[in-house]
Amino acid sequence: MRLKSALAAAAIVALTAACGGGGAEQEPSSGEPVKLDFLSLAWQKESVEANKQLVEEWNKANPGVQVTYVQGSWDTVNDQLVTSFEGGDAPDVIHDDSPALSGFAAKGYLLDLKDKVPAELRSDIPQPAWDTVTFGDGKGGEGVFGVPFLQESHVIIANKKLLDAAKVRIPTSGEPWTWDEFADISKKLTKGDTYGVAWPMKSPVNKTLNLALNFGGTFFQTTGGKTTVKVGAEEKEVLQRIHDQLYKDKSADTAALGMGTADPLPGFFADKYAMLPVGVFLRQQVAEQAPDGFEWVTLPPLKGVSAEQGAVSQTLSVAADSKHPDEAVTFISFFLNGPNQAKLARGDWLLPTSVKAASDPVLTTEENGWDVATASGKNLVVAPFLKVNGFDEWKSKVATPVLQEFYANKITIDEAAKRLVDDGNKVLERYQR
Amino acid sequence: MTATVTRPAPPRRQAGHGGGSRRDREMWVLMLPALVPVLLFSVGPLLYGIGLAFTDAEAGRNHVTSFVGLANFGDLLADDEFWSSIRIGLVWAVSVTVLQFLASLGLALLLNQRLWFRGLARVLAVVPWAMPPVVIGLMWRLVYHPDAGILNSTLGTDVNWLADFTWALPAVIVMGVWSGMPQTTVVLLAGLQGVPRELYEAVEVDGAGTWRRFWNITLPQLRPIIVTITSLDFVWNVNQFSLVYVLTQGGPGGRTRLPMLFAYEEAFRYGFFGYAATLGLTIVIVVLALLGFYLWRQLREVS
Repeated sequence: MRLKSALAAAAIVALTAACGGGGAEQEPSSGEPVKLDFLSLAWQKESVEANKQLVEEWNKANPGVQVTYVQGSWDTVNDQLVTSFEGGDAPDVIHDDSPALSGFAAKGYLLDLKDKVPAELRSDIPQPAWDTVTFGDGKGGEGVFGVPFLQESHVIIANKKLLDAAKVRIPTSGEPWTWDEFADISKKLTKGDTYGVAWPMKSPVNKTLNLALNFGGTFFQTTGGKTTVKVGAEEKEVLQRIHDQLYKDKSADTAALGMGTADPLPGFFADKYAMLPVGVFLRQQVAEQAPDGFEWVTLPPLKGVSAEQGAVSQTLSVAADSKHPDEAVTFISFFLNGPNQAKLARGDWLLPTSVKAASDPVLTTEENGWDVATASGKNLVVAPFLKVNGFDEWKSKVATPVLQEFYANKITIDEAAKRLVDDGNKVLERYQR
Repeated sequence: MTATVTRPAPPRRQAGHGGGSRRDREMWVLMLPALVPVLLFSVGPLLYGIGLAFTDAEAGRNHVTSFVGLANFGDLLADDEFWSSIRIGLVWAVSVTVLQFLASLGLALLLNQRLWFRGLARVLAVVPWAMPPVVIGLMWRLVYHPDAGILNSTLGTDVNWLADFTWALPAVIVMGVWSGMPQTTVVLLAGLQGVPRELYEAVEVDGAGTWRRFWNITLPQLRPIIVTITSLDFVWNVNQFSLVYVLTQGGPGGRTRLPMLFAYEEAFRYGFFGYAATLGLTIVIVVLALLGFYLWRQLREVS
């Protein structure tokens, strides 16, 4: 058996192609309810509960359109979707995020929702969020391939006692720390066994690219319809500053580099790290796992030239193959209306795109830093890399290893820049033939 | 494409061998139930995959697949990622096969002795075989876990084994050796038991020590079995996917990206089906060439 796994890839393609042809199903007769599959990627307990509860609510109110909740996982969703799109049995309503949508849109797997989203939902979500789901359709046009609903910004979670002891200025959303201030304060907080900051950089790419916008670093440029990688002074700024904290100021722990986002938490609770620059969602784990008496605060995003951060969105899309696209869109507009988005945002500890949801009192309270988190939403602009065809391959083949090596001090910033550009352009070329 | 192969050869009518044609027909009828699944699920996709290697097939509705001849092979040869994955694949396959063989030979020799609880020990040695690769991968992930892992707590180290550029591949190789040992051990053990007692008795009369006995009797007697099992192990190891996929997904920075993981990524992550098929085909050719060379040398030495 295993001998043949060499060609497993091809074999599966062959089988899916063979099965895909004969899948024409009968329309249900008028009495039967329409059935929709909803692939959800919710994984935090509260969020899964919120999702299931909304589906149940819908099913009760709409006997004619019954939705089945299907549990997926972020780790495998895109591989799984490629096979099910090719096989023609994709779920009707698909939960994913905007970086994945750009590829699927160009391949024609998703339904263009431009003229299908009801006006009310359309106006409740601001244009910058819609920009994160607007992509080329692979045939020269542009379309809207999902409804954006949850976004993540990078904030700083800090140990309040250590901040107070060092007598540093506590920043506000109106007057955030600059990167220079942040570097100074990190140095001040580094004492004895305590490091000022931990940069968990197991997956460094999205974090670096989103923060690079603070100094106007876009990493990609498009001229004459051809996209290339660009690493100039603006892009190097954040790279160099993080590197300085690690090796010049020694205010960041190099041992934290290999960690995933949540891994530094035990060290954070044990006063080993004073600050963690992380996504807003991590507040959930901090709130849940913090030992009794541990005081923490959420600090607003840093400011470089601006406080702008690249944003991607979690999205709901409709498969191009769905037999009931209109019902699917109606379900999405119910699922993502203001009050429901507030529930979902609370469940995932992320920021809702809906303006109505963002004004929900639960999302503006001081408790657990919701006020700072929600306010940081205004800094979000569409991440430039979203529109880059082939970004995923650039990220995993080029940028991840290069940035890991750079942060581990194995290569210089110029070497890193050269590889990001040269190897990167080679990868992108394949998508622009 | 498959039609040319699936059609069984028409039964030959041979004058003077009337019984022969009937026997032929009966043979085909008897073989049919076994043949159909093989043709349908193995040979068919195999040929389809080979065909795919010469096209620019891609995921997506907007793509029209066309024949590109050898262009994929050209791209492949110029692809640094491909060469580095081949290099990693060979380091992995050779070291796993060799270490697996040495460890299994030791274990087989041990289990061939008259030990107490020999039956129990033999059963225990086969346990890894009973585990699905995904379970093995998850188990070893716990072993290598930087904070909670048994390895760091035993050695008193603080290494993130699977995220470390230097240690990831060795860590994966150790797991590979462990998981492949049972079948190698069992086969070698069976071989050991087939070595005629008289040979040992004959050299004992000559006063040969343990080492001489092993070198002059056991090894030469086991030779055909060793050749067989190492070749099989090598092919299995080159084509390994699930163990490493579960453990590292090819990371960190592609340091454990075996050829099969590379092919999987090309096909199902980036959607380049044609290119991935080319890769698969190339691996088959590489394995056949290496194996052919190895077997040819072994056979030549025997004769």
